Amino acid sequence: MGKVYQLSEAISKYVKDGDSIAFGGFTTNRKPIAATSEILRQGQKDFVLYTGAGGSEADMLIGAGRVKAFINCYTANSGVTNVCRRFRKAIEKNEILFEDYSQDALLLMLHGAMLGLPYIPIRMMLGTGLIDEWGISEEVRKTVDKLPNKKYVLQDNPFDPGHQIVQLPVPQLDVAVIHVQKASVSGTCIIEGDEFHDVDIAIAAKSTIVTCEELVSDEVIRRDPTVTNIPGFCVQAVVQVPYGAHPSQCYNYYDYDNVFYKHYDQVSKTEEEFDQFIQEWVMGVKDNDEYIDKIGASRLAKLKPVQGLGYAVDMTKMAQEGK
Amino acid sequence: MADYTNYTNREMQAITIAKSLTNGQIAIVGTGLPLIGAALAKRIFAPDCILVVESGLMDCAPIEVPRSVGDIRLMAHCAVQCPPVYYMGFQANEWLHGNDRMVAFIGGAQIDPYGNLNSTSIGDYHHPKARFTGSGGANGIATFVNTVIMMQHEKRRFIEKVDYVTSAGWMDGPGGRERAGLPGNRGPIMVVTDKGVMKFDEKSKRMYLAGYYESSSIEEIVENTGFEIDTSKATLIAPPTPEDIKIIREEIDPGQAFIKVPQ
Repeated sequence: MGKVYQLSEAISKYVKDGDSIAFGGFTTNRKPIAATSEILRQGQKDFVLYTGAGGSEADMLIGAGRVKAFINCYTANSGVTNVCRRFRKAIEKNEILFEDYSQDALLLMLHGAMLGLPYIPIRMMLGTGLIDEWGISEEVRKTVDKLPNKKYVLQDNPFDPGHQIVQLPVPQLDVAVIHVQKASVSGTCIIEGDEFHDVDIAIAAKSTIVTCEELVSDEVIRRDPTVTNIPGFCVQAVVQVPYGAHPSQCYNYYDYDNVFYKHYDQVSKTEEEFDQFIQEWVMGVKDNDEYIDKIGASRLAKLKPVQGLGYAVDMTKMAQEGK
Repeated sequence: MADYTNYTNREMQAITIAKSLTNGQIAIVGTGLPLIGAALAKRIFAPDCILVVESGLMDCAPIEVPRSVGDIRLMAHCAVQCPPVYYMGFQANEWLHGNDRMVAFIGGAQIDPYGNLNSTSIGDYHHPKARFTGSGGANGIATFVNTVIMMQHEKRRFIEKVDYVTSAGWMDGPGGRERAGLPGNRGPIMVVTDKGVMKFDEKSKRMYLAGYYESSSIEEIVENTGFEIDTSKATLIAPPTPEDIKIIREEIDPGQAFIKVPQ
């Protein structure tokens, strides 16, 4: 039973200032937002942040000034906010260190971390700004503990001389934070739907914090090993956090909350309104229970997916329209 | 009875994308117009084309239009769910095997005459006037896969030199990709805008005007292109049928998430 925590305990035990930290999910799908909010409440900062295809979690941490260096490939609440606004402003105002990789490159770096490889060779990025421009210079990299010393190294392919390849550094992750559908008390996880890079970072990180919709017994989770994704020994903390990915989607559990995303799109336009939003929805609520109470049961009920489709549809409306 | 003859340039753009797909092709689709175009292709023009997304979902057949390539709407009727790293394997292996089945739709804020695309930032990279998402999957796609590029046709977007190359086109012309270390047998094949269709000259690799819409004109396209463009091969592209427009408005994007219906 030693791995089951309250969210506040898990975050305070495993997330420290200056950590190299990775989040799971993909833009507006299965983003660990409740865990992000708890980090914001507790105050940890100076992160080297990896999010894969990032969304609100990256935008909120950047907007609240908690990120020292952001390793970016794409940051958007797609369909609502096409470029996350606090991310955008922080770069335009030169307020954070950032590095750009292609999504393939970044996810392969995290995959390399999962495999424990020393570095990872790719053919992408050649001929482009991703090679020409370094967001973070070698000199600055020396001043940030958890950053690799170089963005990349170009090398002649030793197995195919005359062809250049790009060697990418593999990050050493201190913490991975993921949100899953089901986890057992010993940390075994079930991810339903696209796993994204979540399994990679869970294996790669020194400490993995899992928030889950449902906490189940080890006996239950062992009934079908064909649907489990992460062995418990890769997980340090398990926390039951219903709606822990809200406003993003959680397959088989809820759809994205578009009203919330549209509100965030508006308030993230200015620093003042963003700060008010953080006051209201993060600092102003004690924990996730207060957060979901504040959103309200009827609103959450509307996000429930239709069986067979996997997403929320207003079936009453469809029936009336004769579809 | 709704009017389906009042099509917009954006709908024309979606239909042009849809018609560029053929049966058996594997299309890598991104959010927005490419998904609308690909969904339309699957309904009408190329029902046996295969849709894949970079988040790792293979052979998708979404009903409602997804908002992102990670949207759970892509799970409905999807054939195989893979981690994203598998997607990268498919992309590279199609090239390694010498297959020509794959085509990808990508876009950007700026494009140059050789189809090099910028979706990273405007102005100085470190102090940008405007910062965008960054590459996403586009850079890897532009490395290994032939691309159809989606753009808004504006003078400030079609420029001689882009501020940052996020996705490689034909680089600086013939042999440019090889010199950069990129596969020379891959690159942009077409640019589809709200005003017309551009292709790339086989020898010079420079963009030329291949077609314009009934609702645009050669003059309008030249006026909105910030570099010299050959128009000698331009032909009029046939307008969409009301049936095509009806499917977009009634079935594919009824919520008008990406295409607004004219009032």
